[in-house]
Amino acid sequence: MTEQRLPSGQVVYDPRGNVTVTPMALAPRRTSLNGLRIGFLDNSKWNASKLLRHIANQLETTVSVGQIQFFTKQSFSKPAESVLIDTIAESTDIAITAIGD
Amino acid sequence: MPTTQSPSPRNDLDLVEWYFEQGWTDGLPVVPPTPERMSQMIAALGGEPTVVEARIPPRWGSLTREVLATNLILAGCLPAYAPIVRTAIKALTSPHFNLNGVQATTHMAAPLMIVNGPIRKDIGLNSGSNVFGSGCRANATIGRAIRLVLLNVGGAWPGDLDKSTLGHPGKYTFCIAENEEESPWSPYHVEQGYEASDSTVFCIAAEGPHSVTNHVANDPEGVLDSVVSAMSTIAHNNAVSSGSCAVIIGPEHATTIADNRWTRQDVRKYLWENTTNTYDDISFHGRYGKIYNRNLPKWYKRESGARIPIVPTPDDIHLFVAGGTAGRFSAFLPGWGHMSAPVLRCLDGHHPAVGTCVDGTCEL
Repeated sequence: MTEQRLPSGQVVYDPRGNVTVTPMALAPRRTSLNGLRIGFLDNSKWNASKLLRHIANQLETTVSVGQIQFFTKQSFSKPAESVLIDTIAESTDIAITAIGD
Repeated sequence: MPTTQSPSPRNDLDLVEWYFEQGWTDGLPVVPPTPERMSQMIAALGGEPTVVEARIPPRWGSLTREVLATNLILAGCLPAYAPIVRTAIKALTSPHFNLNGVQATTHMAAPLMIVNGPIRKDIGLNSGSNVFGSGCRANATIGRAIRLVLLNVGGAWPGDLDKSTLGHPGKYTFCIAENEEESPWSPYHVEQGYEASDSTVFCIAAEGPHSVTNHVANDPEGVLDSVVSAMSTIAHNNAVSSGSCAVIIGPEHATTIADNRWTRQDVRKYLWENTTNTYDDISFHGRYGKIYNRNLPKWYKRESGARIPIVPTPDDIHLFVAGGTAGRFSAFLPGWGHMSAPVLRCLDGHHPAVGTCVDGTCEL
């Protein structure tokens, strides 16, 4: 109910509306990257790919990663397609994404 | 920014100040809702105050009729304005529009609403002089009510979930009507397949209007070359993100164009054909290395001298006639880009047998 009565007796209304959310647990955190399949999700912004490729290059020189794969969203402003998310979930152990404005 | 302060326990509170304290305004004083006003506004929305009309991103608050009525009253709307605001909200929350992105982007785009049909006259919407400016309650408060919903229910508070670097004044209110009476062409919504007796709301995520001045030309080409000039810059978002845009032709310019028997489609095609951005322009002549730009259509040639159209097709230029009858001015409003499609929705939710329509809202 958005209506409430103030101690002054005046009636006011909350214009915000309720938010109904379903809590979701995060995936378990990894403690090491060694041997893992790492996916990079490029959001298709101007500099996202540059940033992610730099991170991939850094990881390859510092960690013994199992495999590196790159994926690209069709629109940086919309959620990734469910098919793409499923593919990433099945083919990688950890996924990294970034905004490159 | 909203605050979490509780109201002070004192009698006869100044409710205008109380709503400021809650952070539930756009920065201007609001009209405090009363039980009587709420009852009238909910009745104008069809009663049943708990019905959820939409969920507003990025906060995803539930917009019940009661919450919508609250925001309508806060904005200063009359009950007769309620159907337009509800129609606009349903259009903005259709999947085509991507309101989540429009609300959160660093770009300055804001939803612009353009109303067609008999309801314009019924409620006194201004489609004439100073159409983008102040002075008309219907234009001002309808746009403001939509903004209050986007702020209060959508959570698009500047710096919080609205990340716009600059914003623009249309984030206070941004609602006009087409000047069908002074237009030499069929109304926009009729061109899209609706009846002249239907009332519709067109929505596009747009930058502010850029004036197009031409007091000299007495032919369509001359008038439209000035519009082309306004469009042919690399600074706006269409230049680098494609999408769609709006062009408002002033009545004097429209008369000059139509007296030469040019149709709306002739105008759109001329504008589309003659913008002058090139690949060299949008790639900064190679100064920062080779630029591909994945946000433009794949079929554009990325080579020196290639023309880069402002939008992919002539139909992506949404053309309206509006403004006063004195003055040789028009306006160009760049869009946000391919990330959001303009939408059109009829007040009663029905749609013509053309276009891609979902639940009464049609992607353009």
